[in-house]
Amino acid sequence: MYETKYHKASSADEAARLLAAAEDGKFLSGGQTLLPTMKQRLAAPTDLVDLSQIDAMKGITIDGKKITIGAVTTHAEVASSSELRDVCHSICDLAGMIGDPHVRNMGTIGGSIANNDPAADYPAAMMSLNAEIMTTKRTIAADDFFVDLFETALEDDEIITAISYTVPSKCGYAKFPHPASRYAMTGVFVSKNVDGTVRVGVTGAGASGVFRHEGMESALAGTWTADALKDCTVDANAMLSDIHADGAYRANLVKVLAGRAVASSC
Amino acid sequence: MIPAPRERVWELMNDPKVLKECIPGCEALEQVSPDSFRARVVLKVGPVKAKFEGEVELTDKIHPESYRIVGAGKGGVAGMASGGAFVKLDEEAEGTRLSYVVDARLGGKIAQIGSRLVKSSASKLAKQFFTRFSEIASEGATA
Repeated sequence: MYETKYHKASSADEAARLLAAAEDGKFLSGGQTLLPTMKQRLAAPTDLVDLSQIDAMKGITIDGKKITIGAVTTHAEVASSSELRDVCHSICDLAGMIGDPHVRNMGTIGGSIANNDPAADYPAAMMSLNAEIMTTKRTIAADDFFVDLFETALEDDEIITAISYTVPSKCGYAKFPHPASRYAMTGVFVSKNVDGTVRVGVTGAGASGVFRHEGMESALAGTWTADALKDCTVDANAMLSDIHADGAYRANLVKVLAGRAVASSC
Repeated sequence: MIPAPRERVWELMNDPKVLKECIPGCEALEQVSPDSFRARVVLKVGPVKAKFEGEVELTDKIHPESYRIVGAGKGGVAGMASGGAFVKLDEEAEGTRLSYVVDARLGGKIAQIGSRLVKSSASKLAKQFFTRFSEIASEGATA
């Protein structure tokens, strides 16, 4: 057994200070990726700085069409918020499809997007909803935030405090979960804004992580129906290819799920 | 595409200092023979952070056209990783075209967790390697 020092931070500033003082520290939120990784000895930080008890980073605020979700809000809290469901049920549906009850009760939205696992659900929604990611240092647009596989624009000592977005006129999410892990083999979030523009965020499929599909965006801006996607193409060579599904299979899933997301949107 | 003659790019590709700077996470690279090196690399992919001690070898050399760069290392309890790339240099009017093909294998625990992402992680690391290499080679050409 190796030792790890556990620190509980009560503010983001304090957390940043604790991390700076650690030899090889790591921020901990819900721990649904980091802790299994540590148990496998694939990471052995000397210090863990727990962000999950920082009150200023908790909860959901709804101001008209403007939604703000604190970074340490759990998936279960998002899934079960009836106030949020009334104005934007797709994000609640998405949160309810993540992992299993254990993951949803512990895992947080900030942890999910900071890790930027290429099969995580939230990144697709952030891209599609044109969300802003607020950190201890700045506000980052989703398009600039997700850089590559497991890589974000975050600096080592930067902490996500909240995300926010404006509810679009229509949006929907559809995913094909891996039967064991419930990770998205492919997940597609579609949204149509008040000005008629469309954004399509795809997770689980791209070899470089979450991405937007411009072909589908312009097709759906023309007609908001699943049928409008029939001539769109998805490049199989740009898809992840693994034991579960090859690139061509995932490319097809992108198209099928985009259609389902549109059909289920409201 | 690197704006430098092929011979020069070949030289850089065999320079341990350049290799050390290009291998993502390489903390130390020590030459043990003309074509082999001992390396210490910190592999960081998402939550995984493992330190590997291993060897880097240059094989199948065809001067100054192509070689295979192969790395293999043990990361303690994490498992083992090996990977390589076949690198080819083509002379063109504007300089030297560099192309490569990557393969990677993992074993032990890191493979259980990592297999979902081995291929894409390997190509990401290779991309970092060759992007950095092109930068260095281009700088060297203008300096």
